[in-house]
Amino acid sequence: MQRTWSLSGPLDWMRYINKYVEVKAGTSEEREHCGWLLTVDPVSASLVLVNFGEVGRASVRVVMGHVVEKVEVLQEGDQEMVDRLQAILIQTQSSDLDPEQLQLRKDTVQLWLQKNLIPVEEEGAELKVAGVLTISAPYRPEDCRSCNQIILDRIQRLIRIKPEY
Amino acid sequence: MATPVPVLRLPKGPDPNSRGFDPKSPRYISLCRTSISSSAVSDADSEELQREQHARSVLRERFLRCLLAMANKKVHFHMFEKVKVEATFGASDIDVLNFQVSDLHTPIGVQKEALIRCQDVISLTFDL
Repeated sequence: MQRTWSLSGPLDWMRYINKYVEVKAGTSEEREHCGWLLTVDPVSASLVLVNFGEVGRASVRVVMGHVVEKVEVLQEGDQEMVDRLQAILIQTQSSDLDPEQLQLRKDTVQLWLQKNLIPVEEEGAELKVAGVLTISAPYRPEDCRSCNQIILDRIQRLIRIKPEY
Repeated sequence: MATPVPVLRLPKGPDPNSRGFDPKSPRYISLCRTSISSSAVSDADSEELQREQHARSVLRERFLRCLLAMANKKVHFHMFEKVKVEATFGASDIDVLNFQVSDLHTPIGVQKEALIRCQDVISLTFDL
C-alpha cells in the first residue's frame, strides 16, 4: 500500500487536496491522522494536514511519505475551506495595495535594480531579471521566483536593502 | 540583515543546473532509491506531462511555504519506536532527507544543534 501512495504521482495527489482526509501511517498506536489536506510534497510524498482550532489558530501535521499506507477522503471541501487553507500559507499577502501604489513599487524596484546594473525588463505586471528570475506583485523579496538559488538569493538581498522612499 | 536561504546544502547536493538531483550521485543512490520517479507519464504525451508538472509545482510551492512557516517554531517529532522529541525547526534539505533543528530535547538532554534523518520520522506537528 505504501508504495502506491508515494508512487501515485502529482495528478492523483491533486484529487485529495483541500479535502478532509484520514491517513493511516506508521506502526505505533497513533496510526490514524485526520485533517484537511493542504498539500503533498511531490519529492517525498509527505502530506501536510491542517486542523483548525479556536479563532486564528491551526495545528499542522506533516506525515512523512515513506510511512503512509492509506489515504481516504472523509469529507469534501467547500470554497470557504479552500480559501481558509490558502490563507494559512499566505498570511501577509498584501493585495490591498491599489494599482497606483503597485505601479510605484514596481517602478522603484525596477529603478533600484537598474541602478545596481542588473538587467531588468517589464513583462506585463511582472519584472523579469536577466531572463531567469521573475518578480511578481507586490514586488517584495518573497515575491521573487527563480530556479537559480544563487541569483534568487542575490536579488532578494538587493531588494531587501532597497532604500524606502 | 539578510536572512539566509533556508535550504540546507549537504555534500553532493543537486546537480549544478539546479534541476534537482543527480541520479548517479552516491548520495542519491544510497538514500533515494525508493524516491518517486519523475513522471509516470510517457514523454510522447506532452500535454499530460505539462499538467503533471503544473500540479507538481503547485504542490511543491505549498510544501515549501509550509516549511517556511515551520522555521523557528517548536515542532514535535513522532518517530519510530514511540520516540517523541521536541525541537525548534530550522530547515530541510531539498530532497527532504534531513531536517536541521535546534534545541533538540532528547531523553538524555538537550542537543543544541542536530540533524534528524527523515526516514526515522513518522510525523511532525506544530501550531500556527
